[in-house]
Amino acid sequence: MDKLTENALKALLAREGLEPKEGDLEQFAEIIGLYMGNLKTLHSVDLGPEELGPVFRPEWTGK
Amino acid sequence: MAIAEKPLHYLTIHEAQKLIHDRTLSPVELTRAVLERIDAVDGKLHAYINLMADGALQEARAAETEISRGNWRGPMHGIPVAVKDQLDVEGAPARIRQHTKGVGDATAVRKLREAGAVMMGKLAMSSMPDEPPQPRNPWNTDHITGGSSTGSGAAVCGGLCLGSLGEDTAGSIRNPSAFCGIVGLKGTYGRVSRYGLAPLSWSLDHCGPMTRAVEDVAHMFQAIAGHDPKDPTSSSAPVADYASAIRNDVKGMVVGVPRDYIDECAPRTHPIVLDLVEKAIAELKSLGARIETVTVPTLKLATIANAVIYYNEFWAAHKSDAPWVLKNGAPQRRARIYLGLLTGSADYIQAQRIRSRCRAELAEVFSKVDCLALPNQAGPAPLVKEVGPIDTLFKHVVPEYHGPFNLTGLPTLSVPCGFSENKLPIALQLVGKPFDEVTILRAGYTYQQNTEWHNQRPPI
Repeated sequence: MDKLTENALKALLAREGLEPKEGDLEQFAEIIGLYMGNLKTLHSVDLGPEELGPVFRPEWTGK
Repeated sequence: MAIAEKPLHYLTIHEAQKLIHDRTLSPVELTRAVLERIDAVDGKLHAYINLMADGALQEARAAETEISRGNWRGPMHGIPVAVKDQLDVEGAPARIRQHTKGVGDATAVRKLREAGAVMMGKLAMSSMPDEPPQPRNPWNTDHITGGSSTGSGAAVCGGLCLGSLGEDTAGSIRNPSAFCGIVGLKGTYGRVSRYGLAPLSWSLDHCGPMTRAVEDVAHMFQAIAGHDPKDPTSSSAPVADYASAIRNDVKGMVVGVPRDYIDECAPRTHPIVLDLVEKAIAELKSLGARIETVTVPTLKLATIANAVIYYNEFWAAHKSDAPWVLKNGAPQRRARIYLGLLTGSADYIQAQRIRSRCRAELAEVFSKVDCLALPNQAGPAPLVKEVGPIDTLFKHVVPEYHGPFNLTGLPTLSVPCGFSENKLPIALQLVGKPFDEVTILRAGYTYQQNTEWHNQRPPI
C-alpha cells in the first residue's frame, strides 16, 4: 500500500469515527495495494455509452 | 452401493424420500442415525455451531405422525437438513450481525419447514464473530472445506445432514461444494428469497442448496424457490418442476466453453482441474451434447467488478457494526471494511457498468448455447496450515471462476468430476441462462447418471 492510500484510508476511517486495529494497515498492505491497482484497471476499459447494471424498477415496493 | 447396504446417514434425499413415502423408513429413525453420525464425527469436522437435537427429534416425530396419517407433504418431508449460520432460524439469528435483530425464520428456512424438512441446526461459516474452530474437510481433515459455507460443505459431505443451505456472494456455495465433492446450486439472483439472510452484499448474495446428488439439489431447490414479497429483489417468474424436468437427457444440448476465460485463469489453476474438467466436458459430448467454444471478452474484468460491488455494499450493510468489527472481528471482515471504505462511488458505478456489459455479452452467447461449462476451482482443497486469514480476498481480485456469475446473477451448478492424486475432489461448473436452472440440473443429472464420482464417500 502506498503512502497516499494509507493516508486516505486513515482519513476515511477518521471521518467515520473509526480507527484501524493495531497492525492492520501493515497486515493488509498487500491486499489493499493489489485492490487499488485493480480499481485503476477497472477504469482503464472504455465502456462507451454502457449504462448502470441494475435497473430501477418502478414497481419495487420494498419489504 | 445398494440402498439397503448404505448407512442411513449417507442416503441421498431422493433415496430417503422414497423410503419415507413407502413407510419403510421413519423420519425419527433417520434423524437419530444422523444425530449418531454427528456425535461420532463432528468433534473432528466442526460443522455444527448450534445443534438443535431436541427440536429435530420433535419435528421428526411430527413428520412421522403426519405421514402415518397419509399426509405426505413431498420429497423433503422428514428429511434432516441444516443451514449456514448466515440464515436466521427462529431462536437462532445469524451471528454475523451485531446491531440488527434476526427475523425469526428466514424465508428459505420457513419454506423448508413447510415442506416438512427436519431442522438439525446451524452450521459454521467463515469469519464468525467468535471464530470457532473452522470445519475440516471430510476427505482429509488436514485440508479446508472451502468457504464461506464451510459447515454446509463438511456436514453434507460427512453425512451430518442430507442437505444444507449455503449462501454465495463470490463462490461460497460452489467453493465448499467443489472442495468437499458435493453438489451445490446457486440459482438465478431473485429465485430464492434473501429475507432473513444476514447480508454481505445485497445485489450479489444468493441462498441455495448443497447436497450429495443433483436430484437432491433439485428437490431442495423446489422447496425454497419462488417469489417472496418480503424480498424486493425476489422474482415472480414461474417456478419449474425441477425434479421432473432434469430427467431428460442432454442429446442436442449446446454446451459453450469460454476457452479464452479459462486460458486467462489457467496460470492460477492446477493442471488436474483443467484436465478433469476437459474430461467432464468430453463426457457430456459423448452423451449427446454439442460443444462450442464461446468468447465473453469482459469476463476478465468481472471478478474485480464483483469484488468492488461486494466490498462497497458490505461496508454499507455493516457500517453500524464497524466499530465492533474493527476491534473484535475476524481479519477477513476487518479487511473488507477497509476495502469498502476505499471504494469510491465512481468505482462502484464503473463496476456496475461492467456488470451491464457482461450481462449483454453473456446474453449474446446464450442466444447460441444452452449452458456454459468451465472449472469450479483453482485447485484441490489446500491444507489448513497453508491458508492465511485473508487468502480468500486475494482470490477476489484476480480473474477466477466464481465472481463473474454472482455479478451477472446467472444460475450455476457445481458437480463433482473427479479427484486429485491425493484423493481430494474436483468439480465442474455449469452456468445457465437466467431462471433456466432446469438446463444445468439436467446436464448435471445426466452426467451423474453416467459417472460415479458423486457416489464416493470420504474416509472419515
